[in-house]
Amino acid sequence: MVLIRDLAIQGSQMLLVLLLAPLFTGFVRKAKARLLRRQGPPLIQPYRDLIRLTRKEVVLAESASWLFRVVPYLVFAATWVAASLVPTFRTGLLFSWSADLIAIIALLGSARFFLALAGLDVGTSFGGIGSSREVMIASLAEPAMIMIVFTLALVAGSTQLSTIAAFMSSSNVGLRASLALVLIALIMVAIAENGRIPIDNPATHLELTMVHEAMVLEYSGRHLALIELAASLKLILYVSLIACLFAPWGIGSSDASLPGLVAGVAAYVGKLAVGGFLLALFETSIAKMRVFRVPEFLGAALMLGLLATLLLFVSGSF
Amino acid sequence: MPFAAALAFTAALLHVFNHSLFKSLLFFGSGAVLTATGERDMEHLGGLIHRMPQTAFVFLIGCAAISALPPLNGFVSEWLTFQAILLSPQLPSWGLKFLVPSVGALLALSAALAAACFVKAYGVTFLGRPRTPAAEAAVETDSWSLAAMMLLAALCLFAGILPGLFIDALAPVSSALIGARMPVQSGMQWLSIIPIAASRSSYDGLLVFLFMTISGTLVAAAIHRFASNRLRRAPAWDCGYPDASPATQYTAMSFAQPIRRVFGSVVFQAREAAGMPAPGDTRPAWLKVELHDPVWEYLYAPLAAAIGRTADRLNRLQFLTIRQFLTLVFGALVILLLVLAVWS
Repeated sequence: MVLIRDLAIQGSQMLLVLLLAPLFTGFVRKAKARLLRRQGPPLIQPYRDLIRLTRKEVVLAESASWLFRVVPYLVFAATWVAASLVPTFRTGLLFSWSADLIAIIALLGSARFFLALAGLDVGTSFGGIGSSREVMIASLAEPAMIMIVFTLALVAGSTQLSTIAAFMSSSNVGLRASLALVLIALIMVAIAENGRIPIDNPATHLELTMVHEAMVLEYSGRHLALIELAASLKLILYVSLIACLFAPWGIGSSDASLPGLVAGVAAYVGKLAVGGFLLALFETSIAKMRVFRVPEFLGAALMLGLLATLLLFVSGSF
Repeated sequence: MPFAAALAFTAALLHVFNHSLFKSLLFFGSGAVLTATGERDMEHLGGLIHRMPQTAFVFLIGCAAISALPPLNGFVSEWLTFQAILLSPQLPSWGLKFLVPSVGALLALSAALAAACFVKAYGVTFLGRPRTPAAEAAVETDSWSLAAMMLLAALCLFAGILPGLFIDALAPVSSALIGARMPVQSGMQWLSIIPIAASRSSYDGLLVFLFMTISGTLVAAAIHRFASNRLRRAPAWDCGYPDASPATQYTAMSFAQPIRRVFGSVVFQAREAAGMPAPGDTRPAWLKVELHDPVWEYLYAPLAAAIGRTADRLNRLQFLTIRQFLTLVFGALVILLLVLAVWS
């Protein structure tokens, strides 16, 4: 009985992130448009886009290989598995022990590895520039993320996301300098990983922003739909991660009853709304930076993470 | 700290073992490419995935494994190393205490750079369009070579999804050398690996692999059922720029340019200069890239020069008369006997 309940909760978590991801992307777009005094597309526009894309035929480049057609499924599967292991409305998910935070980060790394390969597959200069810049950004963002994980693991005594989230929502966290540094670093990495302004601009795919959108330029139809959905999932994953680590209020504990779960879902949706609005506010108030300013930005995140880790190595109370 | 020592030592041993699998696979793969094309320069290859699909597939597994991507084996040993690093605040010595997290940061950095390197190696060699006639005329390698590579690729996956078996197999080495071993892994629930305690950290390569397979299959089935199945081949879009020449593709040199610029300017003193002839001038444009490898310049090059100088001096001994040779042999014999007498 307990197993069935846990399976149902794990399944509903998988479906929840999958169904909410396009809505969240639509919400951020809408909020950005309203902040710019524009009407903006309706909230459900991302769903319409996805459905439209799946109905269209795939136009495949003549030089594309089998890898190009497999990558959207691989990227989607890796991102979805990673997103369904981040606690959203309840900690202690059934399969949370199968992959800890390091493995979740590495799963996203797998998705990026294959996407970068797909960018090179057709043999065009646009795909190449996107892949080349993506791996440059990743080579700084991944170590920064590992340093963030180190700090969290040293504070909570575990790399299991469920255990860390439960520790963060307990009263014995206190105010710590290392966690403040890590929060800033995590937000910086999340912005870079999702290709948001000021690193990249998800709204265009030409001269100004030739990273993620340039890499997937040759994709169309159902393949593009999967990649767009995976990008939305990645965005909601990072917002859920920040929410469950630094705003764990209202998240259901592992023995929560049905009303507790409903409250957990409500709190989660509320946190997403706040997170999405803050993201939109940040994006409208800052300008895109040049590609070779990005290493400085991510280098700062890496240094913050390293500093937080070293502080904890000096004393566990920082 | 016997447990931490056992964990770190097992992680190191497993890492060496994993390297023996995927590095052999990658060397076999490069050998297959070399025999198929006669080329060792990546800039002359490209598009081999069309001509050598099976080699391309196993080489891809090797690239993913060496880049420490789950659910393959490279990730398991990296994960164990990170777990060992996270135990190091308990270390008594302050020097080690600060050294270990810095090594952790460097390990994370090198894993990310390895992924970048293998995206480049695979992308330039196997993907894209062929850059030379040799690459265009490549044929699949023979089935014996393929079988060897497939065996190694299967082992990479096997060690990635069932790492507990390999960790247990390494336990006797760890007990013999440092007197401690990691907990027995093969009895764990769902074949996961738990280095210290379940509440602290656990990883289950099998479940991650199954989850990825199931969710990938689910979405493929849903796409097959509900989405359009139509597919049309057309020239590459490339934002409307028709580029017939494969020379316009990204090369290995251009792929690495951002990383060279970010990481190479201090240690490797990477410098770039480009020359663009004036309009009407028919000379080609040029790009000059300068790199200095400090290990090569300050360690290997002086060593090689010293060996060369010594060899030049000794070379004179080749042109002695027979009398001088006999004197040399006699002298050497006397010296050897004297050394032996003093020694014993």
